[in-house]
Amino acid sequence: MMMFRYNFKYESILLFRSKWIQILIALLILLFGFATYNGQQKTQKRKADIEKVTAEIQVSDLNMLKLLDSVEQGLTVNARPWTIPNTPMAVGNYHPRVASKPPSELSFLATGQSDMFTHFVKPTVRGDDLALNFSEMTSPVQLLFGSFDVAFVIIFLLPLLIIAFSYDVLSSERESGSLRLLAAQPILLYKWLLQKLALRFFWVAIITIVALLLVFVANQVPVVDNFSTILTFLSVSLAYAFFWFALAFAVNLWAESSAKNAVALLGLWVVFVLLIPSILNQLGSTLYPIPSRGLMINEMRTIKAEATERQDEILDNYLRDHPEYAVNDTTQERSFWHSYMASQNLIKKKLEPVLSEYENQLQKQQQLLDRFTWLSPAILIQGSMNQLADNGSESYEGYRNQVISFAKEWRDHFLPMLYNNQAFSSGDYSKLPEFTYTPISGKSQSYVLLILLCSGLAVLGFGALRFYVSSAEKHSII
Amino acid sequence: MIITNNLTKKYGDFTALDQLELSVKEGEIYCLLGANGAGKTTTINLLLGFIEPTSGSAFINQLNVQENTLETKRFLAYIPENLMLYPSLSALENLDYFSGIGGEDLNKNQLKGFLEEAGLQSDAFHKRIASFSKGMRQKVGIAIALAKDAKVLLLDEPTSGLDPKASNEFGHLLQKLRGKGVATLMATHDLFRAKEVATHIGIMKDGQLKQEFVAADITLSQLEKAYLETMEYKTIVA
Amino acid sequence: MIRKTINKELKELFRDGRVRTSIFIVLLLLGVAVWISSRQYQQTNADYAAAKVSERAVWENQGEKNPHSAAHYGTYAFKPKYPLSLVDQGVDKYVGTSIFLEAHKRNEAEFSAATDQTGLARFGDLTPDFILLFIIPLLIVLLGNNAFTKERELGTYTLLKSAGAKGWKIVLGKWTALFLPVLIITVLLLILAGLVLSNLSDYGVFQWSSLTAMGVVFLVYYSVFTNLVLWVSYMAKRSGISLVISLSLWIIACLAAPKAASNIAEARHPYPTRQEFAANVLKDKDAGLDGHNPWSKEAKLLEEQVLTEYKVDSLQQLPFNFSAYLAQKGEEHEAEVYFKHYNYLKEQYDNQSGTYRSLALLSPFLPTRFLSMAIAQTDYATHWDFSDAAEKYRIATQAFLNNNTAQNTRYGERGYKASADFWQKLPQFEYEPPTLGQILENNRSNLNTLGLWTLFSFALLFFTTKKI
Repeated sequence: MMMFRYNFKYESILLFRSKWIQILIALLILLFGFATYNGQQKTQKRKADIEKVTAEIQVSDLNMLKLLDSVEQGLTVNARPWTIPNTPMAVGNYHPRVASKPPSELSFLATGQSDMFTHFVKPTVRGDDLALNFSEMTSPVQLLFGSFDVAFVIIFLLPLLIIAFSYDVLSSERESGSLRLLAAQPILLYKWLLQKLALRFFWVAIITIVALLLVFVANQVPVVDNFSTILTFLSVSLAYAFFWFALAFAVNLWAESSAKNAVALLGLWVVFVLLIPSILNQLGSTLYPIPSRGLMINEMRTIKAEATERQDEILDNYLRDHPEYAVNDTTQERSFWHSYMASQNLIKKKLEPVLSEYENQLQKQQQLLDRFTWLSPAILIQGSMNQLADNGSESYEGYRNQVISFAKEWRDHFLPMLYNNQAFSSGDYSKLPEFTYTPISGKSQSYVLLILLCSGLAVLGFGALRFYVSSAEKHSII
Repeated sequence: MIITNNLTKKYGDFTALDQLELSVKEGEIYCLLGANGAGKTTTINLLLGFIEPTSGSAFINQLNVQENTLETKRFLAYIPENLMLYPSLSALENLDYFSGIGGEDLNKNQLKGFLEEAGLQSDAFHKRIASFSKGMRQKVGIAIALAKDAKVLLLDEPTSGLDPKASNEFGHLLQKLRGKGVATLMATHDLFRAKEVATHIGIMKDGQLKQEFVAADITLSQLEKAYLETMEYKTIVA
Repeated sequence: MIRKTINKELKELFRDGRVRTSIFIVLLLLGVAVWISSRQYQQTNADYAAAKVSERAVWENQGEKNPHSAAHYGTYAFKPKYPLSLVDQGVDKYVGTSIFLEAHKRNEAEFSAATDQTGLARFGDLTPDFILLFIIPLLIVLLGNNAFTKERELGTYTLLKSAGAKGWKIVLGKWTALFLPVLIITVLLLILAGLVLSNLSDYGVFQWSSLTAMGVVFLVYYSVFTNLVLWVSYMAKRSGISLVISLSLWIIACLAAPKAASNIAEARHPYPTRQEFAANVLKDKDAGLDGHNPWSKEAKLLEEQVLTEYKVDSLQQLPFNFSAYLAQKGEEHEAEVYFKHYNYLKEQYDNQSGTYRSLALLSPFLPTRFLSMAIAQTDYATHWDFSDAAEKYRIATQAFLNNNTAQNTRYGERGYKASADFWQKLPQFEYEPPTLGQILENNRSNLNTLGLWTLFSFALLFFTTKKI
């Protein structure tokens, strides 16, 4: 206990007297600051986009109600006939609802896939699910380079700071001779080293937490409201830091000089943060390659061609291409839409097996990768951050599914009115279905925490083994 | 109180130390002379418990070093050849740290007392070690030994790199410690200083203790001759 | 003397176990990366060829059909992959590989590989460009960070100076020794890639000149790093500091700057959202370009014009089907709307590129990345080029179809079906990517920036040699 008191006091003094700690603090605040600012910008833009669209819909709705009102009072209106909202199809097609994925409060933590996919869709009755395009217009260069978000700082940069901070914790003592002096004191060396690293970890943890909280508050992140999520985020980040400290401990014990330590730790960084993810990625696409989209397109087109021929038996082919004109012909209207929806359904059913094969391959890839994510703490943490930010690929898949089922709901709302030849009236407006986004509840992060802690402990154990290696085989640690 | 019984250390086929029988009693200063690789550092490492003997045993204060590594360290103090200490801490802080982790809970005045006893100028107490000469750092090392109330002192080439004045001061410190009953084992090349401070002198070669003298019984030039003969060099000066 | 320094440095390097290990690992990774890339390249090209043939067959076998129906049925333009994409994948993963060409609408390329992959894909792939852009500079940092500091720490520095060694010779020796392994690895890689590609030369036209250009770009990039690492090593007081600083440079250049640059570029010059874009296009389609000249008015004008030109009183009297003619004009009109909006996107991208250029002053990685992608024809500009070519083909296809109707029917007739062998007459979509010369011309600013970096880093080092 006494050793700990002295270690704490003097390790802390040593750290704070060295320029490094000051640089570390400044760096962390700078990096986290920039990353959070960036993330918040993106979140604001996303919110603004959604708000804009929602406002547009509201305006359009007001106009629609005005128009309806006029029509119901028997006045003539100045609008193209097929857009007059007294028919269910007109409303269904020209006054869709916004199905949006609002950003979570912690969206700034990790960009995840949010730069690739769109955040709002307006499903119409006419459109088919296959036409719903979820990818967003982004410069692919931006997608290639990725984002400077908090996750990037924690996953890529924090380990480097930890390495810079601890790569020579034992070797410098050895090289300066103070280790011999220490070893002559009645202390257990492994305890001493463990305490030193634990103290460094303690200070890095404190500094990181303070820096993050400061930066969050400065960027108006609602910390108090999201307390438990932020707590999870901090825990996971600290567990990740713990892993890297454990590596530093093990390398300090097994490697022989400061220079070799540095190279070894950097090599490990490259392996865990750069190589393993890209190799796993490669493995996934080699073992379960997504079949060629080009060929899928061909298959779909052939099917569509056949189905279209059958559609010809159902409706006039020109009207099929320009269904809006069908409305002009009131005798056609009901039967046209009915046939149109039926034929769309037909095509959808035929194409489904082709599409689901693609979905299956993607799932298999995902499952394979899930099994091996524990190989790299970087992958684990990226997944966690994406989930906490609600920006991961599972989140977007969830959103996609919700939109598709809403599209169905939207369609199903109008079809009965269509079949019954009902007109759409002002009173029906309040009954229109609305979309609410429910974030998927992801895997609990305690699984990630557990793996990180276990990996860290395993590495510590491996390092500690060094103390038991017979001194005949290797030079003494001292 | 240092005793070794048939202390042997082999690295594979290479014998670093061959059946060393050594004894240093309270109040004795034993200087171990020998070329590099003769086994002096190995002896010290064994006494410190840094390495394990192949056979034989070492005792500090009647405790077997191998079996009671932690215990024996309470009694001994060690000053390595390159004593760097922590450059960004002051002399006082270094002393506080090294004695503190060893279990000594001393207050500032006590610590200052030990630094003074070790011969360090009081204006240097709060200066950072980075600015200290080797001599000054040695004094802090001695202070650590004093603070510990060590019974045994192990020294590795303490006077290499010291100017004559510092070397002289160091010799006096050793005598002071001897007066307190400390048993000192000093590995060195410095024949002159060895003759000045030692009570006993041993010459090692190839892991074996070849000759032992009581310091008072020989002159410096006799010592030099004995040393060179042991090394099997022809004496140039008769 | 220089040669002696080179020899000594190289000996030191190769006797160092960790150096041998690192170089071995890099070579191993390169080998794996090239092997994987070449397999993928072959696979993709096979898919491309098959898809192209299949699609053409689908188009030609439409049987008897109304040309406008065929226009709505549409056809696909597939994006080919070029040989050097084996070395640098560029943005290919993030752009679609097929564009659907239909009437009245200009579509984006669909099905980018990234949207099909898991979130892990954002970490990057084990491709040759990953090794060339990230790992080899890191290797330079690891090998060279103690070039000068070790001399100081070992005490050999003062020995060197007292031996009368000239500053620039020492530096040149160290520089060569550091650069040589990197040069060998890069050249080996490129030769390997070249051999692999020339054996696959049925697909795409492989040119050694492009490969060489790419090689030169990378070697220049490595020389910049070599200069910087050596300079840092000279200025630093201890090996530890030198390593940390060089490493920080690597991190800033290769990881942080690109990300920061892309965020800043996107924030300053954002793209519209897909919905916004579509809505704007729709608005312009209805109201006419810039709000004037709505199609309804334009159509009337055309009608009058044509009637006057052919000196007839009614549309039925025209020697061609006016509806089809009008449809084609309408198509071209809509295409203009699309061109306007897509040009806006291009402008935004150009503005973003401006941001990248200014931030390239922080990082030699940026111009190198852009140049490498451009030469490999996997950059965004090539994608734009392909999209535009596909659009031109689309309009030409619409003309082809509409003219057929115009010629073979008269105004008001319904139910016309073109014969089954009509479809074959549509020329195939062929896309020629820009040549190396054009690429280099278009990327002049990147070449300049890289040039500046080279000059600057050599200057730094040169002034160092004066001090030694």
